[in-house]
Order: sequence, then structure tokens, then C-alpha cells
Amino acid sequence: MTTASPHSEPSRSSYLWVALLPLAGFIGLVWGLLQHPLPWRGAWPWVPVLGVEFSVYIDGFAAQFLALIAGIGALVVVYASAYLAHEPARGRLFLILIAFMVAMAGAVSADHLLLVFVCWELTSLTSFLLVGFHHEDERARASARQALLVTLSGGLALLAAFILLADMAQSYSLRAIVERGPTLVGDPRLPAALALLFAGCFTKSAQFPFHFWLPGAMSAPTPVSAYLHSATMVNLGVYLLARLDPAFNELWLWERTLLGVGTLTAVWGAVQSLRERDLKLILAWSTVSALGTLTLLIGLPNPGAGLAVATFLFAHALYKAPLFFVAGNIDHATGTRVIDRLTGLRRAMPWTSAAALLAGLSMAGLPLSFGFVAKDLISSAKADAEVLAWVSYATLFVNAAAAAVAGVAAIRIFGGGTAEPQDHVREAPWRMVLPPLLIALVGLEFEFLPNLADPLLAEAARSISPGLDGTEIMAPYGSGAAVVAAEITFLVGVVLFLAWDRLHDLLQRVHWLDHLGPAAFYERALGAVAVAAAWQTRLLQHGRLAAYLRSSLLGLLLLAAGASLASGARDWIELTASLFAAWPERGWLWLAAAALIAVGAAAGLLLRDRMALLMSSGLVGYGSAALFLFTGAPDLAFTQFAVETALVVVAASLLPRYGPPPAIEGEPRALNALVALACGAGTLALLAQLFALPADRTLADWFGAASVPQAHGRNVVNVIIVDFRALDTLGEIAVVLFSFIAALPLLGALARRPSAPP
Amino acid sequence: MNPRALMLEKAARPLYWIMLAAALWVLLRGHNAPGGGFVGGLIALAATAAYAIVFGAAAARRRLPLGPLPLAALGVALALFSGLPALWWERPYLSHLWFSLPLGFTDLKLSTVLLFDAGVFGAVWGALAGYVLALLRSVEAAAAEGPP
Repeated sequence: MTTASPHSEPSRSSYLWVALLPLAGFIGLVWGLLQHPLPWRGAWPWVPVLGVEFSVYIDGFAAQFLALIAGIGALVVVYASAYLAHEPARGRLFLILIAFMVAMAGAVSADHLLLVFVCWELTSLTSFLLVGFHHEDERARASARQALLVTLSGGLALLAAFILLADMAQSYSLRAIVERGPTLVGDPRLPAALALLFAGCFTKSAQFPFHFWLPGAMSAPTPVSAYLHSATMVNLGVYLLARLDPAFNELWLWERTLLGVGTLTAVWGAVQSLRERDLKLILAWSTVSALGTLTLLIGLPNPGAGLAVATFLFAHALYKAPLFFVAGNIDHATGTRVIDRLTGLRRAMPWTSAAALLAGLSMAGLPLSFGFVAKDLISSAKADAEVLAWVSYATLFVNAAAAAVAGVAAIRIFGGGTAEPQDHVREAPWRMVLPPLLIALVGLEFEFLPNLADPLLAEAARSISPGLDGTEIMAPYGSGAAVVAAEITFLVGVVLFLAWDRLHDLLQRVHWLDHLGPAAFYERALGAVAVAAAWQTRLLQHGRLAAYLRSSLLGLLLLAAGASLASGARDWIELTASLFAAWPERGWLWLAAAALIAVGAAAGLLLRDRMALLMSSGLVGYGSAALFLFTGAPDLAFTQFAVETALVVVAASLLPRYGPPPAIEGEPRALNALVALACGAGTLALLAQLFALPADRTLADWFGAASVPQAHGRNVVNVIIVDFRALDTLGEIAVVLFSFIAALPLLGALARRPSAPP
Repeated sequence: MNPRALMLEKAARPLYWIMLAAALWVLLRGHNAPGGGFVGGLIALAATAAYAIVFGAAAARRRLPLGPLPLAALGVALALFSGLPALWWERPYLSHLWFSLPLGFTDLKLSTVLLFDAGVFGAVWGALAGYVLALLRSVEAAAAEGPP
């Protein structure tokens, strides 16, 4: 990570002004919320031909996300402007960060599924660039590639799910699909669509078994981790699941999958967080655990769960982002994040310690914090839903582990005595202290001034759970059972915290956890890809020209045979007769051209001298050109003549200097002859089939009729090339240019090694 | 130079210009008769190759209006550009426009199509000539080192 000292202020641009962009977005959002009632909607044509429109629908849930994206985004930029002050390439980071914010805002406000998908994939791509920001570090590159592979494959599954859903609901509008959700229940395609949707959302939100990329993504700079991997991107999968929850809430598959996977993820993340010593990784695993809790909450069938989701999402972002900032500050000041070496930092870093304490309060779910409200709502949601006992025990453990992690981040590091003098440890500059303090304070403020948070959260909750009524959601918290549950959780958390080191030693010894996890499977799968690639390269790219030709021809033959079989059995005698029935008026000219080709081919078989071989191949080419000429394609003939001439001239200029041809050894001549004969016969059979089909002249007639009036040209071929299909031609000449550019290094190497036989 | 190639040497220079003129003519007539930028470019390539056989790759390269890479790039750029004017009249990209310029005795027809076809011509000529000249240069260098 960074080795920069925090003492000197940067002399060059700190990019602090970049924070104005998300800040403006945040102010605009707040202003809009005060002025106009939700939901906001808008639609602009995007790809009108395909009926794709740029449609936006912002309800309470989307507005909540937008507030998090813009608000925390502004503070992340402020933080990064100091954290990365000595990073030469930081301009790039800010650029990608802003691009990420835009993509994220688009993903949560979009209503058209394809727009959602595009923004979704953009967040994956920008996240890849951000995780791999320190690209000279091999581990960062591996983590970035892992995050990209996992989230992008999930994105593809998501696209398939979207297409299936849209096909079933007859609409690409997310809202319409939610409305029509219950009517889709009987559709046989629904389980497949949901499985694909789960794959997309679970990869994005780091659910088991796709969770392993998230801790890896911690090689990103800390502000990025705080933003992407706690507050925004990883919540996108949860966002989409919550969005679609009203549609499929009643489904057994939906409920059980979310409950099961969510619980498993929550517990797995909590266990792993107890195994780590690196503060940032501890926080990362606890994020995995929190995401699992959110998924589990969405799976709960009652409407109260919607409120718990919205509140816990908010609370989690408001405590996890500050804690990541704190981890960054500690790393910045002490050069380490290993909790064993950190103690008594409160004297040296009072402000950071205050921020950690405030955020930790909320994370532990202690009274007087926003986290308490969230935990309270979670337990009452579960009590209402009468969930299975093991889910309850699991969440109790998960919450206790979260409390223990909060204790480590807020108390263990900052409290206690100092083992060694800490003269070199200084408080971070204000731009790295203000953001965590501010966010943590907002988290507290929501508790003390509930009428600030209530309307937005109620609005958000109603978006996910339309059945929810009343706005006085937060007032009656603290029911007897919930308080008892909170107390038990907290006590267990304290025990975990006190026994942290012993527990850690115990868990560290359980090595099989490392080899069992899906991360190990991912490594093996990646290795298998390389092995398979090497195998097929050795098989296909052997570098022998004759063998390349043979495999190409065989492939062609297989295709032709497949086409023949697919078109059904035919009477071959009749087909051959139909070939001769198409005998043209001046057929002897065709025969003459064909004879030219045959003579050229036969000469190629018999001759060994290179120049003679060249001439015989030219003969074949001129024969084809003559055939084109006689069959009414003068343009094609002209081109063929020009190509053959150029080829012969060029090859003739090169060949004499290569000396006598080398003897060809090890070529299976009999097999080659067989392949050649089979190809000839296959081509004939294919042609015969073609002739038997009725010719469709629609396009030919249209081009012939439109050529002069629309494109002012009598040469239809040329008109098609340069006008009707000009874009194709543009692509083709670009390929010619790029192939030349790609070949330049090779040609240069040829010229530099003149003595070697070319 | 091989003395038997004397005829070739004497003929090569005028032949080069005649072939280039033919290439240009083929390019210009292409819209109404067999021909066009691709064929024209191939004929120009043959001219360059023939010139290179007689006078060497370096000399043929000097005869090109631009270096092979700039020529090919200019060609693609011309073709790309020829689609832009249509946007001004709010037509789709690459919709070709025609202008008639009265010259008294005849109307000169100008069009963005010609620009596009000239782009194809340049791309084909430049890129393929680049290949050919580079290959020729390598065998020339091998020949200069010693007999094969």
C-alpha cells in the first residue's frame, strides 16, 4: 500500500475539487426530494428501432441508494484526495471513480432492463480498473482479474435472466415485471430465469459460493474499498433482489434460496472475519457477512422485512465506510493493518479514534445508534415471519461476530497501553479525518432525529414491500423480545471479543477451510483453462502449412456434409440431372474455363519447380476469372484478374531468391489426396443442392432496381460496395490497415535478420 | 542488374506510370462500369511490385505518394470522413451525397462516393504495397549478404 508520509501536504493538484461533482449531485437530490414527491420518472428514446428506451424510475429505494452514492461518494473523494496525495497516477483514479459513480447511479435509477444491465456491467468494469489500480503489483492484478471474471460472468447470467423475464412478462420495464410477477409464477421458464438471476445477483453481492472475490478486492486503495466494497457496488445485487422481491415473494424457490444462501453467507463471512488479523480483511469479511444478512432479510416473507432491509442497508453503509476510512488512516500512519501490532492509538490519533468509536457503536448495534434500530427491526422482522430456528441462531452468531469486529476496530486498536513509543505516529490530515467522522455522525443523528431518516426509509421500504402501511415505523422500536435478543447478542459479542485471540488461534488451525472454499476451486478452474488452451494450441497451431490446409478443408467438408444432412435426403440422380438441366446457352465457354482450371490444378500436382507452380496457380486463378466473365459477373472477373496478376507479379519477385523448394517430408500424401477428392465431391454435391433450391431474387432485384435512382451508379456491384453496404466495406479496409499494422513488427524482424532463411 | 533484364529496365518506368493511370481510370469509372477502388488499388499494387522488381524495394517506396502506412491510414481516414457530411443534412452516417458542377460543356458529377472509393484505393494500395516492399527488402538483404 502507500508508503507516503502524511506530514507533507501535496504541492500539486490534490483533485479535491472533484468532490464538487458528487456533492452537487447530492445537493440536487436533496433539493429534488424536498420539491417534488417521489417517484420521478422519465424516458428518452435510445435505440428506437429495437424499442429500447433510456427510461428512468426513481422511487424511495432508488433515492436512498442515490443519496448513499452521491453523499458517501463526495466524502470518498475528499478522503482520497489526501490519501493518494503522493500517488502520481491519482488523476486516473478520480476519473474512474467518477465514472463508477455515474454507472452506479444509472444502475439504480434505470427502469429498462437493458439499461440496468449496461450500467451493472459498467460498475463491474470500473471496479476492475479500481481494484487493479496498483497494476504493477501482481497480487492486485490477480485480484482485479478475479473480481472481473466473477462479476462479469454473473453479469452474463443476469442478461440471460433479464431476457427470459422480459419475454415472460412481455416488457423490459423493471416495474412492469414486478407488477406482473405473480402472473409469471406458473411459467415453466421461471425457475431457469430465477436461477440465472440468482447467479447474477449473488456474484455481484458476494454471496456464497461467489463471495471470495470481495476480500481479494481489498488490494484496491482504501478509499475505493470503503466506497465500492462496503457502501455501493456490492449492494447492487441486494438492490435488484429487493426490487424484484414483491413479484416473487410468495415463491418457495425464492424464499428458500435467499434464506439459505443468505444465512450461509452471513455465517461464513462471520467465521472468516474471526480468522483474519488484517484489519481491512476483517472488515471485508464482515461486509460479506452483512450482505448475507441482507439477502436473508429479503427472503423473509413478511412486509416488515422491507423496512429492515432499507434500514440495515443504510446503517451498514454508514458504519462500514467510516471503519474502512479508519483502517486506511491507521495504515497511513503506522504502515501496518495487522491488529496484533496496533494498540493504544487513541492518544496519537484522537479524531480517528472518535470516528472508529462512533461507527463501532453502530456496528455493534448498541442503543443510541442507528445500528441498534436496524438490529431491532431485523429481529422483529424475523419474529413476525416465524423463521426456522437455525436462521435465528445463525443471525444471533452473525450479529455477535459483528459486535466483536466492532470491538476490535473501535476499542482494541485504540485502547490499552502502548508497548512502544509512538512518536512517529501522527493524526491523519483533516481530509482523512472529516469523512469518517461526518458519516459516523450522520449515522448517530438519524437515531436522535428520526424525522430526518424516517420519511426516506419509509418511502424506500414501501418501494420494496408495497404491503407496508403507516409512517410511524421507527417510533415503537424496543419491544421486549427485541431488547432481550439485542442483549443476548451483545453479551455473546463481548465474549467473542474478549476471547478473540484464543478463538483466532483455534480457527487458524482449521486449515481445511482454505482448501475447501470456492476460491480454491476458482484457482483450479483458471489453471484448467490454461492447460486446455495449451493443449488445443499444440493440436491446432502446429505451424505446418499443409496440415493447416488439411484441417481447414476437412472442417469445410464437415460443414457441407452437415448442411446436406440437415436439408434432408434427396434423390441424387435427379439432382445431377438438375445440374445439367441448368446448362447455359454458351456452355462450351464455361467448359473451356473449367478446362483451364483443371490444367492448372494438374500441373500443380505434377510440377516441383517453384516458378512453375506459381504459374500453374495463376492458371487456376485466370480460369476462375474467365468463368466469372462468362457467367455474367464481369466485375468479379475483373477483380479476380487483378488479384491473380498482382499475386503472380509479387510472388515472382520473391520466389527466385528462395532457392530450390525443400523436400516435403512426413506428409500423408494418400490422406491428402483423399481429402482433396472428398472436397471436390462435397463441393459438387453442395452446388447440386443449391441448384435444386428455388432461387430467391428479392435482394438482387431490389439492388438492381435501386442502384441508379438511389445511388446514381450503373455498376450494381460497386454501388453495393461503396454505398448500400459502405459500412461493411469501411470495416474491411480497416481490417486491411490493421492487419498491416499488426504485421509491421514481424516484417521489421524479417528485415533485421537477413541471413536467416525467411 | 542482370543484363538480360535490360528490356524490363527500359520498360519499367513508363510501364509504372501507365499502370498507375490505368488504376486511376479504373477507380474513376468504377461506379458505372466494372472497376472501383479495390481493383484500382490492386492494379496500383501490381505497378509498385513491378517497379520494385526492377529498381528495388527502396526505389519503389520512394515512388509511392506517401509511405505505405500513412497511405493506408489516409485511405481509411478518407473513407471514414466521406460519411460525415451526411450528418450535416441529418441523414444517417455514410449516406452519400452527390453534387453537380456545370462546366459549360458537361456537368461534372462530384460525390462523397468517390471520396469513399478513393479511400478504399489508398487502403488497399498502401497496406498491400507495405507487405510486398517489406518482404522484398528482406530477400534483397539476404541476396546482398551472399548467394542463396
